[in-house]
Amino acid sequence: MLKLFKIIADAGEATAKYPFAPFPVSPGFRGKPELNAAQCIACAACTTACPANALTMGNDTADGTRTWQLNLGRCIFCGRCEEVCPTHAIVLTPEFELAVANKADLLQKATFRLQQCEQCGQPFAPAKEIGYVMDLLRQSGVAVDEARRAEFASCPACKRKATVTRDAVSQHLSQEAEQ
Amino acid sequence: MNGPLPLSNPMAPRDERGMPVPLTESEHIAALKGKLLKDIQRSAYVYRVDCGGCNGCEIEIFAAITPVFDAERFGIKVVASPRHADILLFTGAVTRAMRMPALRAWQAAPDPKISVSYGACGCSGGIFHDLYCVWGGSDKIVPVDVYIPGCPPTPAATLYGFAMALGLLDQKLKGTHQIEGEADRAVVAHPAIALDVRVEIEREARRLAGYRAGRLIADEFLTLASETDLTLDECMKRRLSGEEDPRLAEILTRLWDIGAGVARG
Amino acid sequence: MSVSEQTKVGQNYVDGLRERFGAAILETEWQTADQVTVTVKLGSLPDVVEWLYYQQGGWLSVLFGNDERPLNGHFAVYYVLSMEGLVKSWVVVRALVEEHRPEFPSVTPRVPAAVWGEREIRDMYGLVPVGLPDERRLVLPDDWPEDLHPLRKDAMAYNQRPAPTTDDETYTFVNEASGSTRDVPLGPLHITSDEPGHFRLFVDGEDIVDADYRMFYVHRGMEKLAETRMGYDEVTFLSDRVCGICGFTHSVAYSSAVENALGLAVPARAQAIRSVFLEVERLHSHLLNLGLASHFVGFDTGFMQFFRVREKAMTMAELLTGARKTYGMNLIGGVRRDIMKDERTRTLKLVAELRAETTQLIDMLLSTPNLRERTAGVGVLSKQVARDYSPVGPLVRASGFKRDVRDLHAYAGYGSLPFDVHTEDSCDVLGRVLVRAREFFDSLAIIEHALDNLPAGPVLLEGFHYQPHRFALGFAEAPRGEDIHWAMTGDNQKLYRWRCRAPTYANWPPLRYMLRGNTVSDAPLIVASIDPCYSCTDRVTLVDVKKRKSTTVPYKEIERYGRERKNSPLK
Repeated sequence: MLKLFKIIADAGEATAKYPFAPFPVSPGFRGKPELNAAQCIACAACTTACPANALTMGNDTADGTRTWQLNLGRCIFCGRCEEVCPTHAIVLTPEFELAVANKADLLQKATFRLQQCEQCGQPFAPAKEIGYVMDLLRQSGVAVDEARRAEFASCPACKRKATVTRDAVSQHLSQEAEQ
Repeated sequence: MNGPLPLSNPMAPRDERGMPVPLTESEHIAALKGKLLKDIQRSAYVYRVDCGGCNGCEIEIFAAITPVFDAERFGIKVVASPRHADILLFTGAVTRAMRMPALRAWQAAPDPKISVSYGACGCSGGIFHDLYCVWGGSDKIVPVDVYIPGCPPTPAATLYGFAMALGLLDQKLKGTHQIEGEADRAVVAHPAIALDVRVEIEREARRLAGYRAGRLIADEFLTLASETDLTLDECMKRRLSGEEDPRLAEILTRLWDIGAGVARG
Repeated sequence: MSVSEQTKVGQNYVDGLRERFGAAILETEWQTADQVTVTVKLGSLPDVVEWLYYQQGGWLSVLFGNDERPLNGHFAVYYVLSMEGLVKSWVVVRALVEEHRPEFPSVTPRVPAAVWGEREIRDMYGLVPVGLPDERRLVLPDDWPEDLHPLRKDAMAYNQRPAPTTDDETYTFVNEASGSTRDVPLGPLHITSDEPGHFRLFVDGEDIVDADYRMFYVHRGMEKLAETRMGYDEVTFLSDRVCGICGFTHSVAYSSAVENALGLAVPARAQAIRSVFLEVERLHSHLLNLGLASHFVGFDTGFMQFFRVREKAMTMAELLTGARKTYGMNLIGGVRRDIMKDERTRTLKLVAELRAETTQLIDMLLSTPNLRERTAGVGVLSKQVARDYSPVGPLVRASGFKRDVRDLHAYAGYGSLPFDVHTEDSCDVLGRVLVRAREFFDSLAIIEHALDNLPAGPVLLEGFHYQPHRFALGFAEAPRGEDIHWAMTGDNQKLYRWRCRAPTYANWPPLRYMLRGNTVSDAPLIVASIDPCYSCTDRVTLVDVKKRKSTTVPYKEIERYGRERKNSPLK
């Protein structure tokens, strides 16, 4: 019994002041994921990696947009989105005060424009992703000026078609040359 | 295959396909609940209904009532029977086997009562949201007043959620919808460094220090390398002299090796 | 993986099987140096398992089915034996079951430990264990349709939800007592902690004559999910959520199953960090259980003190992993975070504080007369029952068996870490408390040693390829016993089959024997002593079979009675 009293006396006031004072968390604490939409290229790497399907993406082809959504009510705060994001657009913050009365407040969304194919007019990739790819090529030493944007703004199907046609034409030309 | 369905059970309503639908509350009870929240000037008793979770939530609730967090300071007390409860705390994604016991607990609690979905599974089914043996969250079977996200919510997040459920603290989180602006452009990191070198440095840093510390270390290294007027070797010697964390020194040295290899071609 | 003849551990068991069973041994295949899968003729299954179990020092760790019809036209059943005789290794006995004759001879009459696994195979695959007396469902809920077996590859989608067939609980409880008894059903909802379960005590006056239980109120369908919606890395996060207390242990067991199947060499630093996280998990889990032991003997001040100190272990977890409970730190091939100097220093400081404070607490707890009085000689797990049912963790160690996979089949970094396997011969609740207390201090020493000797190099292996249909075991010693996983890779970047066995699955079947002969007031304490992902109850119904009369009293009553032992609700 005396031992117990000593322990209690030694422990003193153990209770944290929260919620009357902020509750400090560790530096690497995994709280609410925060998207910097300006830096996001809507590539969907995070939605593929998300084990809980808290991150989803959907295209609205009529509208020409892609909408990213984080459901904080489903999020398991694993940080895989942060880990796989190629542009560092999403990070987990120390924020943990996330309770809501209205379920819709758990949804965080961001809408991005889709690039329409220069040839067929179909939306095929986020516009920003194309700009980002061009910047990456510049970073790897390839000279890419804005005038070539049209080349990058063609959908894979149209590109393939263009390649096939070009090949067919050149084959035809070379055959003619042989004759 | 399933035989006749007991559609008439008022305690466990189903739709025309025989699938469970949430219970509803009458307007009268909703009004009573509003009044309770406005005028609550006494302790609030909490009963936990585990609808098939992993126990992570249960243990964090436990932690919230023990000395360091001590929810009982605010009169929030975990009670042993739903008949004593003001607040029902639903954890778990609602497994098939727990649907009826959970509904019985809800029925047993006196009106007006506040229902809280606790944790990712309670709020939406969490990682289990679409599995064959769960219904995907507590609001699939009962009306819910407050959602506390987290996997599991920490004890501090639990205190915040309780305080919010009782109207003592305001809701901080709002739904957001960002729209891409005309001028938005994703910035390429460290544009002065060749892409393949940056990628190799970033990968190696992640392999060595994990995604979080690795990113910070790679950033530091790449910033140093691109902003210095010195040679890489001199710059790194200066950086590493007096470094007190041997592991950080090991990682930076490894990145330096890679950088030096590139410089040599 | 090709295992060279020189490195094979456990060849003696294979040779013994061939010598004894000859033509019944169809095929042997080595997965790792100490894991071999032996395919036997279906009819010889019980003989082979029994021989390995009782004659060769085997323990049945897990058994499961697999729908291999797309691979070889058959169903398969696997019985995993941890060989703990002179040679420590794993022998997996496999037998093929014909699609058109979906039955196999039950092993349970020979090796009682097989009982739950065989019932589960019947639920999930519709394969009938012939000769298994218990024909009740195990895993599937009462409202699940007959003849729908979720893990058959052609049965259903992982997200298909058949309408409930009933709103009633239809499970029947079995009472093996000879005389007349009263029923005391406990559950499935409860006040204390953890997951729902329903068990029924059959009592004669104050004495428990028999007990039966209905678990799996939390069956969610994870194994099916892992085979469908998720890729390999995502499943590490799913396995974190098998259990809220020892999730990381499951995650390590799963990851190492896949790594073993592919023959990956996980970096030494990653292995050491896994060991650190595993021991952090043991710290908070053991403090939780010691706290609960105090609670159940009516010593709530002690309970609160253990929980106060336990917060330091939670802080340590948050510091090292970014989360208090679900660490989410594994990927196939390693871990996601390193331990830098600052984290190391702060962890070592917390270790020192935990050691000092817990030493005081345990000294105080053990000198509290009530503890010894209430726990000594209570909830006895006899050595024979332990041997028959293959329980794990502090439960089996307190019955005198030196079973700990950290020692028997070293994984992660345990081969070079300092710890003892603590055992007690008292076979009772007190013994389990003592074992846990000693293990707690070993965990502190392991963390210190590992942090002081972290190998250099990477924490993650990358750039490997997944080959289809490779399989192996992965295992890790959770605070309450070993987690054992079996994983088979698929050909679509997803698992073909994942089997996960939590320790409590192995510890429930012998519980009935531990309850028999004790008093009702000891029941919550005994259940808590296996440190289950556990269940007490919301209400207690007393059924007097003789008078055909039933009364219901709140669970609180039985818990109060458990602590105070005054004014029995049974009177």
